[in-house]
Amino acid sequence: MKSRPKLLWLQGVTCNGNTHSFLNYPHLSYILETFEFLYHPILPATYTLEKIASCTQSCDILIFEGAYDPRMMRAGSRMETLVQHYGSTANTIIAVGSCASFGGMFKQSDPEYITGVGFDREIAKGPFAKSNKLINLSGCPIHPEWLGYTLRMIADNKVILIDEMHRPKELYAYLAHHGCTRNEYFEWKVDAEHFGTKEGCLFYKQGCRGPMTHASCNKILWNDVSSKTRIGSPCFGCTEPDFPRTNMFETKTNMSIPQDVPLGISKRSYLTLTGIAKSFRIPRLEKRLIDDNT
Amino acid sequence: MTIRKWIEQIEGEASVQFEFEKNHVSFATIAFPHTRGMEAILQSKPAMDALVITPRVCGICGHSHLFSAVRAIESVYANCGAPVEISQKAESIRELTLTLELIQNHLKWLYLVIYPELSHMLQEKIADSCRLKGAYAASLATKILAIFAGQWPHSSYMIPGGVTCDPTHVDIIRAEGLLDELIRWFEKELIGITLDEYVCYSSKKTFLTVTGDMKKIENMLKRTKMHEQGFSYDRYLAMGEHEFSKPSKLVNRRMAKVHSKFVTLEEAYSIDEKTYAKNALYHDDYFETGPLARTMIEGVPFIKQMYKNYRDSTYTRVMARSYEAALLLEHSKKLLQSIKLNEPSYIQPLKKIATLSGEGIGIVEAPRGSLIHSVILKNGIIDQYKLITPTQWNLSCGSPEIPGPAQKAMIGSDSIETATFTFRSFDVCSVCTTH
Repeated sequence: MKSRPKLLWLQGVTCNGNTHSFLNYPHLSYILETFEFLYHPILPATYTLEKIASCTQSCDILIFEGAYDPRMMRAGSRMETLVQHYGSTANTIIAVGSCASFGGMFKQSDPEYITGVGFDREIAKGPFAKSNKLINLSGCPIHPEWLGYTLRMIADNKVILIDEMHRPKELYAYLAHHGCTRNEYFEWKVDAEHFGTKEGCLFYKQGCRGPMTHASCNKILWNDVSSKTRIGSPCFGCTEPDFPRTNMFETKTNMSIPQDVPLGISKRSYLTLTGIAKSFRIPRLEKRLIDDNT
Repeated sequence: MTIRKWIEQIEGEASVQFEFEKNHVSFATIAFPHTRGMEAILQSKPAMDALVITPRVCGICGHSHLFSAVRAIESVYANCGAPVEISQKAESIRELTLTLELIQNHLKWLYLVIYPELSHMLQEKIADSCRLKGAYAASLATKILAIFAGQWPHSSYMIPGGVTCDPTHVDIIRAEGLLDELIRWFEKELIGITLDEYVCYSSKKTFLTVTGDMKKIENMLKRTKMHEQGFSYDRYLAMGEHEFSKPSKLVNRRMAKVHSKFVTLEEAYSIDEKTYAKNALYHDDYFETGPLARTMIEGVPFIKQMYKNYRDSTYTRVMARSYEAALLLEHSKKLLQSIKLNEPSYIQPLKKIATLSGEGIGIVEAPRGSLIHSVILKNGIIDQYKLITPTQWNLSCGSPEIPGPAQKAMIGSDSIETATFTFRSFDVCSVCTTH
C-alpha cells in the first residue's frame, strides 16, 4: 500500500462532541483507507496518546478538537508543546468545532487563557493565528459532512477557498436560514406564537439566529434528516465566533423589531420591509398547515 | 510494585495507579486530570440557556444532560406551586430520543471498545470494518433521534412544557423505517436470531442459539475468564424514572425506594496526583449504576440467569449493557407506536420563567447510569447548578479500606490488562466525571 497522509486528531478542552458527530459520517471506511490515523480518541489508530505525547512522530494533517489552553497537560505533555510540534510538521491544520475555531463554549472555563487555535472569538490569536495552513470548521458540533468534505478535498489536492474567518466558503457562504422550511413565514413576518409548532418563524421571538449565521445546516441536513429550525428549535448561531451568547431562546427586540437584523441588510430597509410585510394579512399563513393531525 | 497507566478511549483519559502484589492487583487509584468547570459556566446564566449549555457536558450522552436539565427546571416550577403540564406525546418523544441515545452509546462501546479490547487480549485480529459496524449502527439510531430533536449530538429540543418539534405521520413512518433497518442490522450482525426471540430469553441455555458477533464476544469474555473476576459490591442503584427503569436500589436481593436527599459527594482519594472527580454515594455507601443495575432492578430474566451463574462479574456487566441495547430497541418500537400526534407538543408554562425562584432537581437514566442535575434559580437566573454523573458513582475513588465500585472490581485481577478491561466494563466517561 502506498503511504497515506498521516492524520493526527488531538484534543484540547472538549466534550468530544465533534468526535462523536464525525462517527456519524457515512463514509468512514473511505477516510480510514485514505489516511493513516496516528491517533484518534475512538477510531482505530497507529499510536496511543501517550506515544503521541512524546512528540517523536510527525503528521501531515493536524485535526484539533476543543478549546486551546496552552497550560493543559495531555498524557504528561504540555499542550503548547504538542501543538507547536505537530503544528510545525503538518501541511494543514483543521480546527474542528467552535471551541477549536474561536474558543467557543469552553473559553468560558478560563477566559483569560483559553482561545481557539487561530482565533480568540473574532480576533486572530493563538498558536496558528494568521497561519495559511489553518482551516476552521466552526459549529457546535461540526457536521460530519463538513469534515468529510475538507478531508476529501485535501486527499484530492483541490484548493479549499476560505473566508476571513478561515472557514471553507463552500460550506459557510450559506446562512443557516437558507433552506429553512419556515422561510415563507420569515418573508411575510409571521411569528411562531410559541414553541412546538411547524408553523411560524422563530426569528422574531424565539431567538433564531438563522438569518445571520454562516452555516449550511438547512442545506446539508443533520444526521441526513433534519435541522434545528426544521424541528422548531431556534438556530443558536453556533458556527459564529460569539457562540455561546446569552438568552438563547429569546430574540432581543427594539420596539418589537429584532435588535439584530439579517446579515448585510440595513436596519432601516429592514424596518421598512417589515412594516410593509406586516401590513398584509395572509389567512393561509395564520392557519395551521394541517388542521387536524390525528 | 506500583504501575501507572493512562487509560484512553473513555471519552478522554484517566490515570490509574495500580498496586500489583503477588501477581494480583491489590489496589488501584483513579485520577481524572481534566475539568472544564461546567457548573461555574452555568452560573448567572438565564435558566433556559442550561438547555444549550448542559448538552455540551458530553459528546456521547449530551441528550441525557438535556433531559436532566429540563426535568430540573420543571421541578423548580413544581416546587414553586406552578407545575408545568406536559402532554403524553411530549413525554413519549423525550423518552424515545433518550432511549435512542442509550442504544447508540451501547453499540459504539461494544464495537469500538469492547470487541477490539478482547481481540487484543486474545491476540486475534479484528478488521477496521468490524469496528465501524458500531459507528454505522449508532448513526442509524441518531438519525431516528434527529427526526425529532433536529440533530445529534447537541440538540436542545426539550424545553419546559414539552418539546419544540411537531412531527407528522411522515416523520413517524420515516423513523419506523429506520428503526426497522437498525433492528434488522442488530439481528443479522449481532445476534443471528430475531429480536423478539432474544428479548424473550429466560435461561442461559438458550444463548446457544445466538450466533453473530454477540456469540463471539460472549465466547471471548469466557476465554479471558471475565466470568471469574470483576466482582464489585453487588449493590445497585437506578434513580431516574422512565418506563424502562424504576427508581430503586437493590441490596442483598432487597429492593427499596430511593430519594435524592440521600445522595452525597465526597472528595476522591488521591496519593500524589490531582484529580477533579468527586465520589458519589448513596446513604454513605458506594453503589453500582448503569445497565447492570437497571436490568437487575427490573429483574430481566436473561441477566438474572447470568447473575446466578457469574454474579456481578465483568462478564455479566458487559452482557447486561449489550442486552440492554436489545431491550431498548424493543422499547423504542413501542414508544414510536405510542406517539399521539393530535396532542400538543408544547404546553406553555403558566408562570414566566423570568419570575421563577426556587430549587429543582432533574434525574434521568443516562447510558452509564443515574444522572442528576440540581439547580437553584433566582428570578429565572441560575444561582447554582450542580451535576452528578453516572461515572462518579461507578468510578468513585475510595481508600484502600473502602474502595469504590470499579476499584473493588479491579482488586484481585491477575494482570493490569484484565483490570483495565474490568475498568472499561463500566463504560467510563471521563468528560462527564469531572464536567
